[in-house]
Amino acid sequence: MDRNISQCIDINSKYCPCLLAETNQCTFCSHLKGEATCNCNWAGVCILYEKHWQYKKIQQSEESIATRMEEEVSFTVKEQISDNTYRLEMQVSNTFAEPLMKIGSFVFLKRPNDPAFFYFPVNIMSVQGNMLDVVIEAIGPKSIRIIAENNDKLVVRGPYWNGVLGQPWIDNLTYGKIILVAGGIGQAPALPLAVNLKKNNNQITAVLAPGKVGKIFIKEQLTELGVAVHIVPSLRKNGISMLKEGLYQKPDLVVSAGPDNQHYAIIRTMQAAGVNIPMVATNNATMCCGEGICGSCIKKVQGNTEIRLCKQQIDFLKIVED
Amino acid sequence: MLKVVVVGGGWAGCAAALSASKAGAQVLLLERTDSLLGTGLVGGIFRNNGRHTAAEEAIAMGGGDIFVAMDANARHKGISFPGHNHASTYDVTTMEPLVKKILQNYGIEIKTNTRVVDVLKHGKRIHTLIIDGGIEIKGDVFVDATGTAGSMGNCLTYGNGCAMCVMRCPSFGPRVSVTAKAEIKELMGRKSDGSFGAMSGSCKLCKESLSIEIKDSLDRDGVVVLPLPERLQKSSSLGKKACTQYALNEYAVNLVLLDTGHAKLMTPYFPLEDLRSIPGLEKARYEDPYAGSMGNSIRYLGIAPCTNSLKVEGLDNLFCCGEKSAILVGHTEAVVTGLLAGNNAVRHCLDMKYLELPTSIASGDFIAFVHEQMKLEAGLSIRYTFSGSVYFERMKTLSLYSMNRTEIHNRVAQAGFKDIYSVCLV
Repeated sequence: MDRNISQCIDINSKYCPCLLAETNQCTFCSHLKGEATCNCNWAGVCILYEKHWQYKKIQQSEESIATRMEEEVSFTVKEQISDNTYRLEMQVSNTFAEPLMKIGSFVFLKRPNDPAFFYFPVNIMSVQGNMLDVVIEAIGPKSIRIIAENNDKLVVRGPYWNGVLGQPWIDNLTYGKIILVAGGIGQAPALPLAVNLKKNNNQITAVLAPGKVGKIFIKEQLTELGVAVHIVPSLRKNGISMLKEGLYQKPDLVVSAGPDNQHYAIIRTMQAAGVNIPMVATNNATMCCGEGICGSCIKKVQGNTEIRLCKQQIDFLKIVED
Repeated sequence: MLKVVVVGGGWAGCAAALSASKAGAQVLLLERTDSLLGTGLVGGIFRNNGRHTAAEEAIAMGGGDIFVAMDANARHKGISFPGHNHASTYDVTTMEPLVKKILQNYGIEIKTNTRVVDVLKHGKRIHTLIIDGGIEIKGDVFVDATGTAGSMGNCLTYGNGCAMCVMRCPSFGPRVSVTAKAEIKELMGRKSDGSFGAMSGSCKLCKESLSIEIKDSLDRDGVVVLPLPERLQKSSSLGKKACTQYALNEYAVNLVLLDTGHAKLMTPYFPLEDLRSIPGLEKARYEDPYAGSMGNSIRYLGIAPCTNSLKVEGLDNLFCCGEKSAILVGHTEAVVTGLLAGNNAVRHCLDMKYLELPTSIASGDFIAFVHEQMKLEAGLSIRYTFSGSVYFERMKTLSLYSMNRTEIHNRVAQAGFKDIYSVCLV
């Protein structure tokens, strides 16, 4: 597998070139970073060209740059998983649902009358037709607003795709052996990852822990998929030793869905075991705008550069630990 | 066995690979696209004006295989067209397999569809090349023959956009400069108006799309000169051209067609509707670039700073050739520099003194002169070739231009360079 996955997730979508290209801040194209000559990690399209044609189009139609879709919808609480954790279900339009079928998809949510800075990101757990399932932990000033005061309406903004770092590894692996570790709310993004890996005839061993959520909520679905599920009360105490055993089976890929602490614990376990395989990690960066503008998701990576995690794929190992 | 890795399979890279192999190295030639020769797949002119002298010098120095192959595969020999005498054209439609065979006969390993995207270096030494997809290739010494065009973004920024030329960047990915990836600051050539880069100087028409008279005439004489209607005579486009040897007034008032297998049109681009208004070209269509109506590739955007032995300055084990080594134009120039770079790459591994071609022969004077000129601001907007413009004038002034094979061979022998490329050094 190609270990270099540094690329912008929005390339080749209708959201590229984006607002960053407008200001010579494109994360990919050297010309659109203000450099003198071509020097990109070729992705099969020339973003400068895309911009060139887009510019011609805009001049004619006076439209601004394509922004994400927003829809106001009603939602139902499908399940209260634990004290603050809710599984929500909502119906969106087909055009909204379709691009969310990709792994790593996420959306932003807020209450209809809240100002735009109330938007917070949430992973898509499943898309069935035009029904979206998401799991939220209502613990912050933004997410708490969704559940409060018997509210049943929200605005969804999307699609966004960079919810999983290492997406190409999942897309490209076939007939492989995978260890999937999911803890707490990380179970929600773990489910679509397992579904996709299974489509490509991969063999999955899952280690699940209840984490802060305090509950396992994807066991049945995983078992139905044919995943070998092991449940542990605590990843730190029991999960890591189970992972170690799993690593002896020579897996092709490790998938970590959960908080950054979990990602780092897994990396250290792999290093201790002398295993050097790619690790897919859920993207836990704080995000506010999702468009690479606000800067809240910027992280330092090896080589003294910065990346915007709302858009840019990266091997999680390359992110400098805070 | 010492391993030379040549990046870029155009004429310069082929010559470097050949030369390194003759000097006794194990050679790996990496090419981004599916075929060798690069822009040589659509070029075809050689031995015109001073290029004849340079070709004979290369033959005398023992590196003549490529010129012999071009001669053997020539469509026309000894043709004249405005500003140029005794030109030959090789058949661009059949040249590539022939060259590939020659290189393979020398035991050179050729990897096509192999695009170098990065380098790993330790101090001033490159030790590994990274191929698109992550594979690593190690070597003892490297030759950068990646040209200076970059990718379609450059053609958009400095030209009229991607014209779908033979470089085929969208399909095979952009050219990547080994020198730039090794963090060496490159030089950029300029147009005469001061802007960066220069446009390739010719495009190719499908010969079968021309009138029977023109086609027959091309097949027979190798050249057709068609007077341009007055309204189409645009002398302003001349300054943009890479090939200054064709930036003559004759080319502004006439359309010059040469037979290279295609009908080579000596202008960077020409709107198709205008072209078709010329008698005999009513059904003309482009062979390369496909969008020859609107533009052509942009060159000279990444020239490596290098010595006259073609070693890239700032690195110990990287050599360069072709356009990468100077603002030069043409297959002959590419081959001449390629031969030198390949030989010196081997010398590097053996701790031998690097060759510098003597200034008593045209090839040596050419490299020294061009490098000297490029230090000047004005020198960056001139293109250099044995076949015309500034350098051909200099060749004549210094009496380096010669059509006499014996004389040329004697000069090479006097300088002590006879058969120097055919000696196995290892």
